[in-house]
Order: sequence, then structure tokens, then C-alpha cells
Amino acid sequence: MNALLLAVSESPKVHLTSQTRIIAAVLALAFMALVLELIRRDRLQERFSVVWFVAGLGMLVGAAFPGLLTLVADAMGVRDTNVALFSIVLLFLLGLALNFSVTMSRQAAQITRLAQERALEKANSQARSGENGSKAKSQSLES
Amino acid sequence: MRTLVFIPAWNEQDSVAAVIADVRECLPEADLLVIDDGSSDATGERARAAGALVASLPFNQGLGAALQTGYLHALREGYEACAHLDADGQHPPREVARLLEEIYGDRADLVIGSRYRDPGKAESDDYKPTLSRRIGTGVFRFFLTLATRQRFTDTTSGMRAANRRVMALFSEHYSPDFAEIESLQLAVREGLRVEELPVRMLERAGGSSFLTPLRSAFFIFKGMIVLLVGQFRPRHAEASER
Repeated sequence: MNALLLAVSESPKVHLTSQTRIIAAVLALAFMALVLELIRRDRLQERFSVVWFVAGLGMLVGAAFPGLLTLVADAMGVRDTNVALFSIVLLFLLGLALNFSVTMSRQAAQITRLAQERALEKANSQARSGENGSKAKSQSLES
Repeated sequence: MRTLVFIPAWNEQDSVAAVIADVRECLPEADLLVIDDGSSDATGERARAAGALVASLPFNQGLGAALQTGYLHALREGYEACAHLDADGQHPPREVARLLEEIYGDRADLVIGSRYRDPGKAESDDYKPTLSRRIGTGVFRFFLTLATRQRFTDTTSGMRAANRRVMALFSEHYSPDFAEIESLQLAVREGLRVEELPVRMLERAGGSSFLTPLRSAFFIFKGMIVLLVGQFRPRHAEASER
């Protein structure tokens, strides 16, 4: 416990002035407002909004308590808190991008299958009304 | 009145046939539609074997999407009233008939079957929810009541009856996953008469609940965001004028 406290006091302090903290907080709030507005206009489905909303909350918390960042950096064994911050954000975005690729792949496969089922259904209904259809055609050709 | 009863079913092969038979017996006048939400088991086959009309979604789309399929069918086929109940046997069709009576009597546009007889209690004699469900119920109840200024006890009930105004609304606006609370908020905001009726519900006959604690937490959080946004949504009546 003492060692931890020592480490915290020794590690370089986060150099966040109150000005940068206010800017960060405003950005976080604006980001969350944007997410809400996108849901409101039916541009974003609610279930996809949760992760972005949580990210916005994380930004807000980071701006409000910059000391937390130092703790996290120490837990990661990183001296520079900026490096810790950037690696966390990078990893988060990387995971999210991969997740979206997986979702997109699944949806692409589903769209293909939907198109196939629709096409086969049409073919089936054509086959069912096939006799009438071909008769009508030949009649129209004769006349 | 022409009535459609529809049953959204996802992997409910053990109970779906019994539910269909029950509905046939208690609501002989009504047409029946089972929406098989991309089940990986024999739900669709067993429903067909039980003689029901079955709409099979090619993939699992979520409860909301399945329900919307039912509302869409009811609207397009010109049904004057519709009702839906769960496929797991928790909802006795006899109680669904009571909900429909409210619609026939034009006393409400949307009627919810509430499992809580005593509105103040979190559980009833024959219903003992798990802890995570109880927390979810409490949170939803609080925020929905706050948002709609109308008292709701069973916010996530899957037993409802509706008229054509609700069909028109829900067939256009219904979130694809768990969306009971949003749909109630939407209906109240659109000026529809939404009513709760205490009903008797049973233990599920088969299958297991889709809700794990983690999923519950996700849906509770999602529900809160959605209710917040819903308060600022343009009303449908205004939107259609654009």
C-alpha cells in the first residue's frame, strides 16, 4: 500500500490545467449529445448507442478526475500517463472496429441468404403457376 | 371483430404446440399466427404441425422485430384487433381474451397484461422473480412512470392487446430487440389510451430465460438512454406532416 502511494507521488503528475479539463468535459458532453441526437433521428439504433454513450461517460469521468488516469497508468506500469491514455483509447477503438467488422460480415451473409430465399420463392411461385403461365403465353403468341 | 392472435417464438419447441392448442380453445374466433424468430430448434415445424400459420424469419432478429412482424401482418390483413402472448406458456390465453374485451369495448387502444395484482408489490403469489429481474423491473417502472406520468407496474409484459391505431404505430416504429418500455412510452406520447389489466401468469413451461444478469444490465442501461431520447422525439403525427 505504501509502495503504491509512493509510486503515485513519484510518477509525473498529469499536466491538465483546468482549462483543458473544461474543454475535455465540454467535448464529452457534446459527443454524448450527438449520440442522443442520432438516436432521436433514427439514424442510430439504440443497442449500438450504449457503447458510445459509455465512452462519452468515460471521457467525462476522465476530465473530472484526472487523478484516475495516473492510477491507471501506474497499474499498467507506464510512466507517462499520456502513453497510457493513448494505448487504452487505441485498444478500445481497435476492439470496436474488429467487432463492427464481425457484425458487418454476419449481416453481409444474411443479406445474401435473404436475396437467395426471395429469388427461390419467386421461382417456386412461378413454377406453381407455370402451366397457366405457359398456356397464356402460347395463346398470345398464336393470336 | 376480426382478431389476430400472434405468438413470437424463439427456440420454444417444448411449449409452442401446447400454447397454440390453448389459444385455439380459448379464442376460437381469432386467427393465429406464430412468428418463428429464426429458431435453431424445431419451433417452426412443431407450430406448423400444430396447425398454426407460421411466419419464419430467416435469422434471429430479436423480440421487437418478431412482434413488429405480427403487427404488420395484422395491419395489412385488415384485422380490427390483435393480441400477442409469449410462446413459453407463461401467459394463459383465457387472460388474453380478457385483454381483448377491453379493445372490443373501445375502452383502450393498447392493453397490457400485468402480472402484479397488487400494483405496489414487486412479486405476487404465483410469481417470484429473480434478483436481477426485480432490479430491472424496479428501474424500468420508475423511469417509465416518470417519462409518461402514467402508472405502470409490469413494464416488460409480453401479453398485450391492441387496436388498429396501435398496429399502425408499432408496425412503423418498433425497436428490434427488447423494446416494451419504449413502445409504451411511444404509445402514451402519441396520445393513445394505454391501460394495464392485472392478469394471472404461470411459470414457464419450457425453455429458459434469455436474460442473464449481464444482458439485464445492458438492457437496463439501454432502456434509460432510450427513455431519455424518447422524451425529445418528434411526435409521429407531426413527423408525418413533413
